[in-house]
Amino acid sequence: MANFWRNPLFGWGVDRAEESQPTLPHRPPQEPWDENRKSKVEMFPVGRPRLYYKWPGHGGWTWNRKRYWPTRRRLLNIRGEYNPKTMRREKTIVDKRPLWWVMALSFMVIAPWVMPEDFQTTLLTAGATFAIYAAINLVWMLVIGTAGIYSLATYAVVGAAGFGTAWLSINLGVPWYVLPFIGSAIGLVFGLIIAIPATRLDGFYYALLTLGLNELCRVYALQSKIFGSSTGGLYGADTYISEHWDDTTQSLVAYFACLTLMVLALVLFRFVNGKRIGRVLRMAPEKREAFAEATGVNFRQARIMVFVVSSIALGFIGGFYTAHYRGVSFSIFSFDTVLLGVAMLVIGGIGRAEGAVAGAAIVIFLDKALLSLGPIRLIIIGTIMLGVVLFLRGGLFGIKPQFRAWRDKKKSERRSTRAEKGGEMLPEEATETRDKDLIYWRRYDKMQRDFLKKLVSPEVIEEHRKSPLGQHSEALERLLLYFRRAPLSDKYAIIAVEPFKAYRIVALSGQRGVAPRIVEDRIYASQEEAYHGIFMRRVQDLLES
Amino acid sequence: MDLGFIITNAIVLSCIYGTLAIGISITWSSVGLINLSYGFIFAFAGYGAWYTAQFLSENGAIVLAAGILSGAFAGIVVCALAFIPIHDKPNFNVRGLIATLAISLIGTQGLMWWFGPRSKNLPDIFGSWSVMLGDMALTADKIGNVVTSIAFVAAVVLWMRSSRRGLEIRAMMMNPHAASIVGIGVRSTGFYVMAITGGMAGLAAVLLSQTYYISPFGGLTPMIKGVSIALCGGLGSVQGAVIAAMILGLNEAITSVTLGGQYVLITQFILIIGILLVRPRGIAGILDRAREA
Repeated sequence: MANFWRNPLFGWGVDRAEESQPTLPHRPPQEPWDENRKSKVEMFPVGRPRLYYKWPGHGGWTWNRKRYWPTRRRLLNIRGEYNPKTMRREKTIVDKRPLWWVMALSFMVIAPWVMPEDFQTTLLTAGATFAIYAAINLVWMLVIGTAGIYSLATYAVVGAAGFGTAWLSINLGVPWYVLPFIGSAIGLVFGLIIAIPATRLDGFYYALLTLGLNELCRVYALQSKIFGSSTGGLYGADTYISEHWDDTTQSLVAYFACLTLMVLALVLFRFVNGKRIGRVLRMAPEKREAFAEATGVNFRQARIMVFVVSSIALGFIGGFYTAHYRGVSFSIFSFDTVLLGVAMLVIGGIGRAEGAVAGAAIVIFLDKALLSLGPIRLIIIGTIMLGVVLFLRGGLFGIKPQFRAWRDKKKSERRSTRAEKGGEMLPEEATETRDKDLIYWRRYDKMQRDFLKKLVSPEVIEEHRKSPLGQHSEALERLLLYFRRAPLSDKYAIIAVEPFKAYRIVALSGQRGVAPRIVEDRIYASQEEAYHGIFMRRVQDLLES
Repeated sequence: MDLGFIITNAIVLSCIYGTLAIGISITWSSVGLINLSYGFIFAFAGYGAWYTAQFLSENGAIVLAAGILSGAFAGIVVCALAFIPIHDKPNFNVRGLIATLAISLIGTQGLMWWFGPRSKNLPDIFGSWSVMLGDMALTADKIGNVVTSIAFVAAVVLWMRSSRRGLEIRAMMMNPHAASIVGIGVRSTGFYVMAITGGMAGLAAVLLSQTYYISPFGGLTPMIKGVSIALCGGLGSVQGAVIAAMILGLNEAITSVTLGGQYVLITQFILIIGILLVRPRGIAGILDRAREA
């Protein structure tokens, strides 16, 4: 820093004036002002990115909406709006799920004709299993998702109906088309039995109890002779798949029958979840019953209703299961079946129909299509389930809202880091102060301090040490002017303990009649040393502020 | 099948299942986790003990210690996977339950993959002597099972009553939120609790293997029995679990004598449902109120 300040008083006989002093280069005081006034917000092109495709809309058509019987709902939830820039009429499809459903279901319908010939039988069998499990999951979702009751006895109901109908079909020759209805009756009875504890128990108590009931069914069926403890299940029931058809027809009929069952379950889900009872159940989840009751909602009746409906449906599925597989095995009661069912629900996302179906598709694909892998495929399923539980809040179909919430959080975090603070008043404080000048004074003071901090350098300190009084370089002069203008309270001053021999630094109280307080014990031998001591303290205070 | 034999059997089994139930109960009430991977911990500990018996020593004490230690290890793993990442996230209770279910699926299938479906059996830990009590022969494994399980549970309960860590765990049971405010580490306590309850499962696994075998899925039935005892006694209460274990053991003995062995589970569940209908929080379920949130 070979920059020197030339003392203009040198050569005029001023005491102790040196010709030049080393100092830092000049900084314009305008600098902090410009820096502070500059906008630091990153500028993007105007407007928001369009997350939805906007369909062109004709004014006359916007209000002409098709509604489907028996509800008054529209086929698609379409929002009509004007583009604020072009003032053109636009349509946004708010909820695209019906479109996805139509695409997925039509793919399932045409799938048998587009799948590779070699795997057709395997894939159709897997598809039929998928459809049955998806149907069970949809009904189960009514209890777990809509009603929020963690019942793990679903497969017990299905299995009980399956075993009951299989036994009736084998021993009494009941034809296949009656089995689902008998299954419904068995399911109703069974559902009422498991609904009794549900009136008193809640949460885990119920979940664990139903898990125990499931185990009870398994052990009972395993031990009883009439349910075929020796053969691993009951087989030989009447079936809707005729033996006279060829293999392809058999698997096609089975596939489409199961698909129909799944569509029926979807319809049931929609008519329970999307109607009054679903709304009632979702407003009265566990631990919020009191609120629901206070608003006049009869949640008990709704819960019993959903239990009855879902048990009848599960029984129906159980009867169909028997008619489909010609019987039922003990594995339906096993803990692993319950685990896989829970995995399906959790992977897809609890509370959504698409979650139940997609979860079933994923798990059944891993379980049936990768049979050659042995136990590893179940480990894969478990790992997916664990990952979903640990990282996702609402399963795979909850990723989108979760991502948006995360993005908004990050946005607001970034916004808050952009706001600068440091001596300035916070908005709350600013509205409370009577003296609004103070707000601007503080802001100015902060800018001034930021500038002065940059002026402090060893050269300046050395210059002040040599001569605390008299003409100084520009930087030091600015610093001293700022220090001298400080308010009186807590302003440093010198007190002469013994003139010309001992001085100390004190801080003024700022109040008339109140003595200054002593800030340090150090005794300075001369007045100039004491001046420099004060200067050093002030510089330190400035740098710390 | 005479009465004495059945009663001693019931006592032995209820001691073992009671140990499991107390483990489940402590886990739930202190860290708020329903540990449905308890069956996996059980099976894992059994295999740990079996490995030790195969390759290290057949000494009873060593095998028992290996079972307890491997159970504690599995408990720590479960804690690290299912408790630490999500214990402060929304909806922890349900997510923890599902996470332990997932661990159970992964773990049991992993054991199956590694060891195969064939079941293993452990050597006799307590020797093969027997004591005659009247006209009833009390074999070594029965006496050993009862004494060991009671001693272990008593040691754990004493430790929880008298030590600093035990105080922390009890504070967590009463009010987890306040406990964390006064400086009790939720995560470290979680590790302690899961290690101890895992050790209990390990002990139960080794003891039960004196009667049954060790298999990948062998932990399921004991876990369900333990869960039902814990439910019946009231989640979070050691005394309740002891009382429930005695009641259910008695029920098992009476049912086996009067109706026959295959009706045991049915009467047991009717009994549990009856008890829970009268007292929805179990026999001693008052403490649970602290764990509502």
